[in-house]
Amino acid sequence: MSIWRFFRGIGWRPVASYFFMFLLFYAILELYAVQRINIGGAIAVSLPLAVGLAWVLYRRVIKPLNEITRTARDIARGNFYRQVNISSRDEIGDLARSINDMAARLRATIEEITEEKNRVQTILNSMTDCVIAVDRDGRIIMVNPAMESMFGITREECVGKSTVEVIRNFDLDNILKKVQAGNKPQTREIQIISPEPRIFHLRIAPLNSSSQGGAVVLLRDVTERRNMEQMRSEFVANVSHELRTPLTSIRGFVETLLESGTDDPEMTRHFLGIIATETRRLSKLVEELLDLSKIEERRVVHRWQRVEIPALVDRVLAVCGSHAEEKQINIKANFPSRLPPLFGDPDMLAQVLINLLDNAIKYTPPGGSVTVSASVENDEIRLDVADTGVGIPAESLPRIFERFYRVEKARSRELGGIGLGLAIVKHIIKGHGGRVDVKSTVGKGTVFSIFLPMDNPTVENNARS
Amino acid sequence: MSARSNFDRTLKEIQQDILRLGSLVEQAVYDSVQALVKLDVALAAQVIMGDEMIDELYMQIEEKCVRVIATQQPMARDLRVAVTGIKILLSLERMGDHCVDIARATMCLSGHPYTVKPVQYIPEMTNIVQQMVKDGLDAYVKRDVEKAAEMCAMDDEVDFIFNRIFRELIGCMKEDPTNVYQASYLLYVSRYIERIADHATNIGEAVIYLVTGERHELN
Repeated sequence: MSIWRFFRGIGWRPVASYFFMFLLFYAILELYAVQRINIGGAIAVSLPLAVGLAWVLYRRVIKPLNEITRTARDIARGNFYRQVNISSRDEIGDLARSINDMAARLRATIEEITEEKNRVQTILNSMTDCVIAVDRDGRIIMVNPAMESMFGITREECVGKSTVEVIRNFDLDNILKKVQAGNKPQTREIQIISPEPRIFHLRIAPLNSSSQGGAVVLLRDVTERRNMEQMRSEFVANVSHELRTPLTSIRGFVETLLESGTDDPEMTRHFLGIIATETRRLSKLVEELLDLSKIEERRVVHRWQRVEIPALVDRVLAVCGSHAEEKQINIKANFPSRLPPLFGDPDMLAQVLINLLDNAIKYTPPGGSVTVSASVENDEIRLDVADTGVGIPAESLPRIFERFYRVEKARSRELGGIGLGLAIVKHIIKGHGGRVDVKSTVGKGTVFSIFLPMDNPTVENNARS
Repeated sequence: MSARSNFDRTLKEIQQDILRLGSLVEQAVYDSVQALVKLDVALAAQVIMGDEMIDELYMQIEEKCVRVIATQQPMARDLRVAVTGIKILLSLERMGDHCVDIARATMCLSGHPYTVKPVQYIPEMTNIVQQMVKDGLDAYVKRDVEKAAEMCAMDDEVDFIFNRIFRELIGCMKEDPTNVYQASYLLYVSRYIERIADHATNIGEAVIYLVTGERHELN
């Protein structure tokens, strides 16, 4: 069997050439032996023969082999498009075809792998979570662009460094070590304080492939969510506090009346007056809370219609005018002659203006003035409510639209404020597809500006849905 | 593994340990002031408990430094790495102690909202100090002499704010004796924060010494 296998690989061509050469050699030897030719003659016959044979050998074997070697080297260097141009039907041709075949296969495989790698890279690049891959020694192999922008670092800066050099966080480092030691994924919430304080949901999973001991760190920014949760709990605390204050006072006076009786009619009247005020406050608070939650949840059916601004302002001034007169505040209205109509719910827009005017009147000392003006800017209608009041300190400006935020709690309560007015304004205007802006100088006055889109049906549809 | 590469690895380990301690201290500075501003007793307690870990880590790393000096007898720059390591460790540990002091003050102040105005400057001051600690450690990681010097220059700003807080707190106390309790604690606290900034400049000086071998007095 093994002899058969030995012969099977041999083609007829080498056998035939060996046989032919052997015959020639034998013929020359024979001629020399029978002394038909001398040694010089033998050389003279065999030399051209040898040269001829060498030439054939060079053309048919060595040259193609050289080319194959060159091509193979090229392929090894990564040039998979290189081909061997030999199409002879012998063993050399077979070899060339095999090399071409191999190159093509390699090319396909490499392309597949590159494609796969690009796909993974694209996924990593488009992730909003931060990804870090580290090797066994805790050195960073890779970070994704989200990571680069979140921590203000570049890939080149951090590859090869340890995590503690790039993100200085004790918890992260500790958990990473634990994962590398225990080979089990870990999840935790951590706070990273630089470049700015943020809360991250951290997950570290071990890498179980060839790079044993490595790990992948995933950081998801949950700061917003935590802030929302905190705002909600603060809201509950605020509401409870706001409800408790009038309730305490009502209870106190009711108990006093119960204990000391109603003998003194003047005193009783006074107490009942306070109780009535506080009750009104309570019901106003509850109403505004309900309004706010309705507006926030967009449960209110907006009665969308054309609203003429002068008519709207007249209507609002009818409500606020008496209050202003009492405080001797001059209200001015300032409109250009041709104003395009607004589109929205007239009652809600009136509510917005009432809230703003009410604030303006409240915080303007007697003798001051409040100006309502309207203008067209770009594609928006701008409504300004300007006062010459006490103004809002710069550090409070970003917070005044928060529910229950008041610049000075005691003063606001004294003036009957609940702290929801501006929150309601903000949400109504948002529902109308507009925005509110505020500028203020302490001691000089405040300007609230409302920007509403002009007659925009898409906003209408959005708000209705 | 050759002795040299083993030695290099130990030095690298020491540096990473220092950064780890630095991360704990950075967090402690942030937390202690957050606790103070929000009068958050739980967070303050956490800072006080966390200091044990800082002290323990400090002793471990210092031990490592001493062992490297004793067994390897490093020369020139290697020696500076070990020696500045100890200096930076000491500064960090002191910062941690000041954080505990601030947290203790928070405990004493808790229960009553702030009535003195200058408390609003404390976050401002802390932001600068926080940045100094961060820059100091960054300069150490990157061996960045320029950054270290820049960081040390920020100390003047801190001193300026400290003086303003000091003046205004004294004013508050004169104005209304009921402010004295709060104001005197806040005086201590601003002093502690100012000390943390001084320790940060020490780190900056150590970094400059580590890289150039020259000593500079920067504050």
